[in-house]
Amino acid sequence: MTEPTRLSTHQSTLRRWFPNHEWVLLILLAVEVALFSATGRNFLTVTNAFELVRSGCEVGLLALGMTLVIITGGIDLSVGSMMGMAAITLGWLNNVAGVPIVPAIAVALAMGALGGWMNGALIARLGVPPLIVTLGTYSLFRGLAEGLTKGIINYSSFSDAFKALGNGYWLGCVPRQLPLFLLVAVGVWLLLHRSVFGRQLYALGCSKEGALHAGVPVGRRVVTTYVLSGLLAALAAVVYAARLGQAKADAGTGFELMAITAVVLGGTSIDGGKGTILGTMLGLAAIVMLENGLRLAGQQAEASQVMIGVLLLVAILGHRFGTGGRAGAVASTSRDSCEEFEMKNYQVAILSVAMLLSALIVAGSNKKVAEQMSLLSAAPPVAATQRAGAPPPPPPAKKLTIALMPKNKGEPYFLSCKKGADEAVAALGGQVEFLWDGPANPDPSKQNEVIDAWITRGVDVIAASVENKEAISTVLKKARAKGIKVICWDADAVADARDFMVQQATPEGIGTALMDEAARVMGNKGTFAIVTASLTAANQNEWIEYIKKRLAAKYPDIKLATIEPSEGKRDVAMTRTSALLKANPDVKLVMGIAAPAVPGAAEAVVQSGRKDVKVIGLSLPSLCREFIHKGVVDCIVLWNTVDLGYLTVHAARALAQGDIKAGSTTMEAGRLGKIEIAGDQVLLGKPFVFNKDNVDQFDF
Amino acid sequence: MKSADRRVLTVAGVLGVLLLGLAVAAPGFFQLGNLRDLIVDNSLVLLPALGMTAVILCHEIDLSVGSIFGVCCVVAGGLAQAGFPMPALLLLIPLLGAAFGALNAGLVVGLGVPSMIATLATMVGIRGALQWFTQGAWVNDLPAGFQWFGLGQAAGQALLVLVAAALWLALSWMFGQVAAGRALYAVGADADAARLVGIRPKAVVSGAFVSLGALAGLAALLSSARFTSIQPSAGTGMELQVIACVVVGGTSILGGRGGLTGTLLGVALLGVIATTLIFLHVNPAWEKAIQGAIILVAMLGARSHSVDRLPAERPVAGRVPGKVVRP
Repeated sequence: MTEPTRLSTHQSTLRRWFPNHEWVLLILLAVEVALFSATGRNFLTVTNAFELVRSGCEVGLLALGMTLVIITGGIDLSVGSMMGMAAITLGWLNNVAGVPIVPAIAVALAMGALGGWMNGALIARLGVPPLIVTLGTYSLFRGLAEGLTKGIINYSSFSDAFKALGNGYWLGCVPRQLPLFLLVAVGVWLLLHRSVFGRQLYALGCSKEGALHAGVPVGRRVVTTYVLSGLLAALAAVVYAARLGQAKADAGTGFELMAITAVVLGGTSIDGGKGTILGTMLGLAAIVMLENGLRLAGQQAEASQVMIGVLLLVAILGHRFGTGGRAGAVASTSRDSCEEFEMKNYQVAILSVAMLLSALIVAGSNKKVAEQMSLLSAAPPVAATQRAGAPPPPPPAKKLTIALMPKNKGEPYFLSCKKGADEAVAALGGQVEFLWDGPANPDPSKQNEVIDAWITRGVDVIAASVENKEAISTVLKKARAKGIKVICWDADAVADARDFMVQQATPEGIGTALMDEAARVMGNKGTFAIVTASLTAANQNEWIEYIKKRLAAKYPDIKLATIEPSEGKRDVAMTRTSALLKANPDVKLVMGIAAPAVPGAAEAVVQSGRKDVKVIGLSLPSLCREFIHKGVVDCIVLWNTVDLGYLTVHAARALAQGDIKAGSTTMEAGRLGKIEIAGDQVLLGKPFVFNKDNVDQFDF
Repeated sequence: MKSADRRVLTVAGVLGVLLLGLAVAAPGFFQLGNLRDLIVDNSLVLLPALGMTAVILCHEIDLSVGSIFGVCCVVAGGLAQAGFPMPALLLLIPLLGAAFGALNAGLVVGLGVPSMIATLATMVGIRGALQWFTQGAWVNDLPAGFQWFGLGQAAGQALLVLVAAALWLALSWMFGQVAAGRALYAVGADADAARLVGIRPKAVVSGAFVSLGALAGLAALLSSARFTSIQPSAGTGMELQVIACVVVGGTSILGGRGGLTGTLLGVALLGVIATTLIFLHVNPAWEKAIQGAIILVAMLGARSHSVDRLPAERPVAGRVPGKVVRP
């Protein structure tokens, strides 16, 4: 038997380590590294490598558990929601009940295991398909977390020692998460690849009946797998809470899809029975590096979404063609995924070319590449003059890099801010390089990642609109420690995390102005309702707090009937408003406190035919203009958002070039003229009331 | 009684109890205006749910439906601004949706990518491209004839509901009585057996994906026509909502079992939760928990057997690995 083994040694080394052609991902990673080293600033540094670990840790933990689940032929959609559940468990125990952090973590982990057990038991004992069970618990876990905290409560008084787990370093540069993550990864690897339990998972993933006949306790194994998945989700929640310094019901929203993407990109077959931990880690690295690299190259992060879609398909097609998996009539009915095939050389070539092409799609859209290309082509003459002994040309004045972050890139509100920022950048001519990036949904953890990437990239000024104070302040302080100037705009962080705040209105000012306008429209009596963004939205909750305060203090005859969420969607705002008007016929005014909520509520009032109900709120003139003219929306309270973006860029430039410093009382801001500075607040002015007389003067 | 029927009855029962309870606790729920709102809103969920039922009956899944919906909304707005008449849009937008459906079908059927992964990729990719392209900007300043197709609110709403109802009726008849509809069940139950009796599984699965795309496009257009501007993040999260409606309605995720009566009930049951909570004055924070509980309870009707025991008879899905029949 030794003879054939020796003959196939060359093949089997590759196959032993990469049984699923995971080396394909190595090529992909090499392409990414090469591409981003050329285009991204400071991409190829040790610090950045470690920062990648920090941003990938939580999804990585989920992906480890998900690999086990998918190998059994199942899927677990509930892990992101379980993070929310575990986070509030941890937060409540530690912050409210006063349980020390270690037992609190233990209980949170037990909660994760319990949730996982529930999934596993429903799947194994009742035979309900995993997709459905976990679709149900995906809603259930998140719903319980939101219901128990009403979506509002944000636990944020954790000890510094706990927060260091998420933000601290060992030996100056190794993130604290790294040892934990490595430990778990090695543990899961041993479990899957070096234990009987692991082999049994593969067996039952290939064929449940076969495994049963072979004496595998299928039910028990399935339950254990989901328990592990839940446990790792809870662990991810602990790391998440430590990194952000807060625990809230919305922790981990959308993480399940990222984890599944990493796992299938890593070559794990969605039909079960096939996959490796190494592959999952490589898939995770590919995704995390893609996002990080694009950021360091100053690109929009949306590009990474498109790229991830392409990569998924390319990788899967690679596996498909490589394994000859097209034999079945329809993809999912072809069950030869458990069989072994060799990949042919030409197929490798096709795959590599496809990946290079997809990488070039990004590169093609990358202005930096274009710039560098033109630099390259311009380089030889310069070298020639140098050789000729001419003095070297003076180095061009260093461009100032200003990075602006909105809370949510997709919000019309922030788009109009960007308009002003672009205007200011254009006015400053070529002296400023301008970066604009942020989460596509209001997501505090994404904000931290973006700022971390900017620190690595080395920008001059960071101007952030803060989704959550506690969550972002650590990373902003880190930026300041590295000599980056920090400004907050739109929404503030804690005072020692930034140099200045460009203040358009305080939450108290907004809440008070909204309540006063509501009282004026209602004639100081009656019932009103609020349509907010989502129940977990941090800013809206702060405004609601001040609206309620003002209501209690000044308007005894006004009653707040209900607060409904709109999930940031105009059509949801409309549906909810229609229903709430019918359920509460005495409501005479609807206050929308998110940009899409006001037009949504107004449309509902129009369609209900009610003439006695008015809408007010906080939104953009462009979204509400027609409703203001129709008289449905009485007024909206806002400031000049274009000016806000404009002023922020000016303040950032002034701060970086030393034109303003602590103690300054005024600054010059282009077309806005002299702007007052009070303490560390750059003041834009008071909230402005847009009504039918003035709304047409504004085009944002 | 067949298990699919049992599940339809379970859902009907839960819905009935809920409505009876509401009649006692909050009779205001049954006022005409509220019922009209509920029917209009849920008609828009029903349309993609019809297509999703077809896809799931084939033992496939489509996660990209929300992204397709979003793109179709934005393109509809863009075309309307460019002066395309509404009847033309009524043709073009479903075609655009169908084109995306064909892309999915090509990946799944042509290239053999598992549908879960293929549509995960198109979901992420299409949504990313849309955000990249629009940067989140709304499509404003639509022509006057855009809202309600220029028909006015009452007629526009009626049109919307009629389209959904007509499609539900037509497809119900097709699923039950027409060869093409029955083929969905055959392919979902056992693709190899279906091929042996002369059905072309690839064509059937492609048809299901393309129809889902077209229905998502139609829903996008009808949904956009309720407003005077378009929000590009429309449709986010829609895929799981639609899948939940279909499986709560008793269609088996393993393919081959279920139908549109159940889907209609599933849409109705999940569609009234939010409104019910508003009428009962319950904090909306509990909505997702209740939705999750309903999905799980409905699933108890779907239980087949513990994985620990071998089934008494061969499972309907019939996909015992290693038994791929090759003629």
